Amino acid sequence: MSPRCSCRSVAAPLFLTLLYVSLLLAGAGIFWALESETEQEHAQPISQTKWDELRNRSGMEPPQLEAFIKDIIEAYKTGINLQQNATSVLGKWKFAGSFFFCVTVVTTIGYGNLSPSTTGGQIFCIFYALVGIPLNLILLNRIGQWMSSWVHRCSSVLGKRLSRPRMAKALTGSCALGLGLLLFFLLPPILFNSIEDWSYSEGIYYAFITLSTIGFGDYVIGINPDQYYPPWYKNVVALWILFGMAWLALLIDLCIRFLKDCDDICQCCGIRTRKETEELSDSSQDSNLQPVLQEPTEKVEMSSNSEDVKPEIDD
Amino acid sequence: MSRFLLCDRQTGWALALVLGYFLYLFLGAMVFQLLEKQAEAESRNQFKVGKLKFLQNYTCLDGPALEQFVQIIMEAWEKGVNPKGNSTNPSNWDFSNALFFAGTVVTTIGYGNLSPSTIAGQAFCVFYALGGIPLNLAFLKQLGKALNMYLVRLERCLQRPGHSMVVQALTMTFFLVAGTLLFLIFPPMIFSYVEGWSYGEGFYFAFISLSTIGFGDYVIGTDPNKHYISVYRSLAAIWIIFGLAWLGLVFNLGTELMEKIFQLKWHKTSRMTVENSITKLEDQLDQSRDQEGR
Repeated sequence: MSPRCSCRSVAAPLFLTLLYVSLLLAGAGIFWALESETEQEHAQPISQTKWDELRNRSGMEPPQLEAFIKDIIEAYKTGINLQQNATSVLGKWKFAGSFFFCVTVVTTIGYGNLSPSTTGGQIFCIFYALVGIPLNLILLNRIGQWMSSWVHRCSSVLGKRLSRPRMAKALTGSCALGLGLLLFFLLPPILFNSIEDWSYSEGIYYAFITLSTIGFGDYVIGINPDQYYPPWYKNVVALWILFGMAWLALLIDLCIRFLKDCDDICQCCGIRTRKETEELSDSSQDSNLQPVLQEPTEKVEMSSNSEDVKPEIDD
Repeated sequence: MSRFLLCDRQTGWALALVLGYFLYLFLGAMVFQLLEKQAEAESRNQFKVGKLKFLQNYTCLDGPALEQFVQIIMEAWEKGVNPKGNSTNPSNWDFSNALFFAGTVVTTIGYGNLSPSTIAGQAFCVFYALGGIPLNLAFLKQLGKALNMYLVRLERCLQRPGHSMVVQALTMTFFLVAGTLLFLIFPPMIFSYVEGWSYGEGFYFAFISLSTIGFGDYVIGTDPNKHYISVYRSLAAIWIIFGLAWLGLVFNLGTELMEKIFQLKWHKTSRMTVENSITKLEDQLDQSRDQEGR
């Protein structure tokens, strides 16, 4: 066991690292290919025609113009809407805006259309996030558990009726996946389309970037001053974010489990190890209050399943 | 009966959690509003004054034209074009920047100083993230395990019978302090030196990056007026990856601590038995491994 296992414990992380690096490189190459051309296309008209026009019209010296532009960008960075008498709802430090900002902090979305600029605000932001992120994780975990327990219940009821438990499981699983996809990814863009005036594909992009907590901030809801927003809109979106994030976290968890299963199948370790793993995972299942740092090394090295059991303990 | 009780307690706990969560959000909203509103108003006024002065100086420019000018610059800025200086700025989407972008996607930091603007780029970004985020999580988990392993090994070395709690607490504090020094205290010094930020801003950047919030108000290596050495960004990338693994462990710890506090499950006895059973199993494993090693 030990030579094979040690070999495996070296090879698996190495493989993972390689895969990770190659994924990053591949992504970089593709984004490079896709975006650099259009960027230049964008850059050309702005920097040439409009630029000269502006320069002619204002009659400014280039250094002054640059200083002015710098001012504008600084102001824009601090989240101010620079157009005249623009009163957007979420783009400012009013209560609604601050609340939205808090949501983006604790969910780690971090759009960045608002960010604290004072030192006091930045320090408070750090401590706020330090407490808020775990709290948010707990809540998401709860919601995810609740969702998966519903799916389990449905599948067991259906299994009894159909007397085919495996098929029922697959059926409810795919149903839940489809429903989630519909509810969290395919329907919200229609709403965004009607209210924010984004195209449908932009809406899907926004939905994904938000729910995966990447949060570039290139599209943010409720900050367009020219648009009218109904009062229920923000609340619905907040709920959507909360449940959607839980659902996507479940999905990503599923993906990780799938990756690990693949890993296990590829390099299947002996039956003995698995047995021990099961024993260990049973013991950890009983415990439910084992801090991360107390996890014994052996379990960590060999088992990949044992800690996947952990989220479902409370069922 | 007991099941009902359990169920009741669980729903109560869930309710408390939801209430606490929203209370926390409201509280934060109020504090941020308090802290930031003043500064925002000030900078807004400053900008207005600046605009007026500007208009006075350049009489040939009227109000609407200036508005248009501002809008054009903002649009340019949103599209990632740097309107400052001459038009021959280096491209935002060269390979190293694209790599940086890919890193911000899979780690879900998402600074947003770069984001895809073409439909193809956006579609690819979605699928790329769908594959990359789980992979990144698996990778970070593996890294966390490695870090954890060293910690446990250290604990083993120090282990004396009867002092397990003390040793645990010691290693925990060591882990926290060393990690904080290495990932949160030292790097801001480098950032403040290279980027010209204050130390506080560097620390803020470090935290916002490692917690994957990623506002994008401070991003390293984006100032066009500065010359960066090529190692700088790769070092930053390594720092981010290890720091993410570390901070993930810390947040995990925080989550479990909070869950315990919420559930009031701090029963020392059951915990001790669990620990005992685990150490027993560890010992068994060690024995079996030793036997096979021979």
